[in-house]
Amino acid sequence: MTRNRADLDRRTVLKGAAAGAAATIFAPNIVAAQSKVVRIGMPTILSGRVAQLGTSSRNAIQMEVEKINAAGGLAGRQIEMVIRDSKGQPQEAARVARELVNSDGCEILLDAEASSGSFAVQEVAKDLGVLVMHTNSETSSLTADPKIRIPLAFRSCRQGIHDAVVSGAYAAEIAKAKKINRWGTCSPDYAYGRDNTQLFVEYLKHFYPQAEVTTEAWPKLFQPDYTEVITRVLQSKPQALYSALWGGDLTSWVDQANIYALFSQMEVFAINMADYTVLTAVKNLPKGIHSATRYIKTYPNTKANAAWGDEYRARFKEYPTNWSWENWVGIHFIAEGAKKANSADGKKIAEAMRGLKIDCPFGADGTVTMRAEDQTVINYAIGWGATISGEPYVPEVTGANWDTILQLEAEWKKRNNYT
Amino acid sequence: MFATRPNLTRDLIIAAAALIVLLLLPYVWPSRMINDLVIRVSAFALFATSLNLLVGYTGMVSFGHGMFFGFGAYAFGLSMQRLGVSIPTAILITIVSSALLGLVVGAISIRLKDIYFSFITLAFQMLLYSTVIAWVPLTGGDQGLMGGIPRPPFLGIDLSIESHRYAFAVTLVVIGLLAMRQIVESPFGYTLRMIRDNTERATFLGINVFRAKLTAFVIAGVFGALGGMVMALFVSGAYPEFVNWTMSGEGIFMIMLGGLSTFIGPAAGAVILSLLNDVITRGTEHHGLVLGAVILLFALGLRKGVTDFIADWFRVRREASSRSGG
Repeated sequence: MTRNRADLDRRTVLKGAAAGAAATIFAPNIVAAQSKVVRIGMPTILSGRVAQLGTSSRNAIQMEVEKINAAGGLAGRQIEMVIRDSKGQPQEAARVARELVNSDGCEILLDAEASSGSFAVQEVAKDLGVLVMHTNSETSSLTADPKIRIPLAFRSCRQGIHDAVVSGAYAAEIAKAKKINRWGTCSPDYAYGRDNTQLFVEYLKHFYPQAEVTTEAWPKLFQPDYTEVITRVLQSKPQALYSALWGGDLTSWVDQANIYALFSQMEVFAINMADYTVLTAVKNLPKGIHSATRYIKTYPNTKANAAWGDEYRARFKEYPTNWSWENWVGIHFIAEGAKKANSADGKKIAEAMRGLKIDCPFGADGTVTMRAEDQTVINYAIGWGATISGEPYVPEVTGANWDTILQLEAEWKKRNNYT
Repeated sequence: MFATRPNLTRDLIIAAAALIVLLLLPYVWPSRMINDLVIRVSAFALFATSLNLLVGYTGMVSFGHGMFFGFGAYAFGLSMQRLGVSIPTAILITIVSSALLGLVVGAISIRLKDIYFSFITLAFQMLLYSTVIAWVPLTGGDQGLMGGIPRPPFLGIDLSIESHRYAFAVTLVVIGLLAMRQIVESPFGYTLRMIRDNTERATFLGINVFRAKLTAFVIAGVFGALGGMVMALFVSGAYPEFVNWTMSGEGIFMIMLGGLSTFIGPAAGAVILSLLNDVITRGTEHHGLVLGAVILLFALGLRKGVTDFIADWFRVRREASSRSGG
């Protein structure tokens, strides 16, 4: 008798649980396309090692969507963001993106994924025919390669080839001035690290043919101990070292290289240094590390940029990241596109965005442009400078010359048969 | 191999009925989300059931089965992207190449027993994972196969159309499960159970244990690869995560959740884990914590999978009715 009662109870519980689960999953999300609200789905990384970047993307979007909504939303329709975690897994990014469109009624995707996830989301957008704005993927081929490019996909962030040209030009200037011919590299051993470093070396040699790479070190991604690579670099005594390490890896590397006084023995160019996540995490930030700007509120040195950095900091108790400004650009392009098209329809916004120029605190001249031919953003602020140990961290930034970038980018595209 | 056996007709009827229900589902309940879920579950069901051929039926706890899932996804994706072959040819390439992989890995691994077997399979998986990450020109490294997998039409089937993709996936999973059912119910399947329960006895009865285990390993690998292929079709790409050890872990979780004493258990586990994942990631960023707690509950609290409970319940009822009848 008791046993029966126990069975009954468990069944009831199971039934209840099943019904609850079913109700949660299958509850119809009644969202008519013409309702007042326009939903934008945002898959991003909110857990795991790069969660900080995903969170900073979400923060920026929340802050900007409030402003855009206050100004009338997308052609009179208020934006409602639906933000989900992809755990940094491409197949989850694909699943989440599909779910956002198919079940949550999102009409536009704002893809705040790292590069592998962005390619997965691109496939979803292709399949479902929705407008997608890639806000964080810096892999050039996403928009440069005509085989991958699709009419409804745009990119609102920096990309690898631009970075490489700027880095090569800046490093070459210093190399010329200081007669630095022997170079070493120390970058993470995966696609981004390899591509980035190879392109850097290519453009360094383009601007300064005497440069020669004598040492290469390839630590593993997320490696905890860099002693071996640091000592190897020190033994080979290059005059300068280039590194594409980023995030926590770069922080650990700088802390460990400090112990060996590496920074006093050679010029160091660490492209991902000038981002607050790294600058504030390093224990003793050495003076004079050269870095490209990722996000820093003093470059571009404008009131608009400083005000935005402060506003973000006041609200979220930390500085924005590289991904934050890139998401700013993404959502504002959509908003300005909708304004120009006077519609919240993805295809009309896409049409309006091609070639659109908008005012932007992170523009090289206060504006950024969505280049029509490959639907990617250009003319954003980018430069290099050397660090000091405290705020403003990189006091003087040498801005990039966009004419040079565009010219060399065009040649690069031709070489890769992307045109 | 497909000699008549008791219950074959019953299994065929169940399979046909399941196929009809699944094929009609989109008409009865038109929801892209359900379609997506069914396609993903199909991939995982093939994967988890094939793993259970090893874990449940042969007693070989492989920690590296995700290697076949990922390999299948890459083999299919690369055949389509690089070789430009038709889909049936790519499927054939996937089957043959994964069988070869199973043969090589199996021939080395199954010489070891218990935990050593588990760990060497894991080691092989990590070897494949590292290769995928490092061989950037072929695999795209950590970015996976980019640019989508082409899906040219064949025999009137166009897998770039959602409804066709759905029908293809459910047909494949039903046929796959039926084939695996046939295998485990065949004399060979009972040989595997005997090896699991008492290897010495099997040896004394003149069974070539090595060959039987190797055959099971290769078969499981092929079906695991087919699961990966369905996933590659769904996401139109292949990613290193498919080859990572976490994929093997998910396979084991599915078996634990669904139950390893019934044939359909792992497939049920695939449904449960997919649903749990989808529901939990909707609600919280701390999905690892919630999912972990659920799995802990199953492992420590219930100590059985869902279908084990159902099977027990039926058995108790049958015994009770036979008692009262007699």
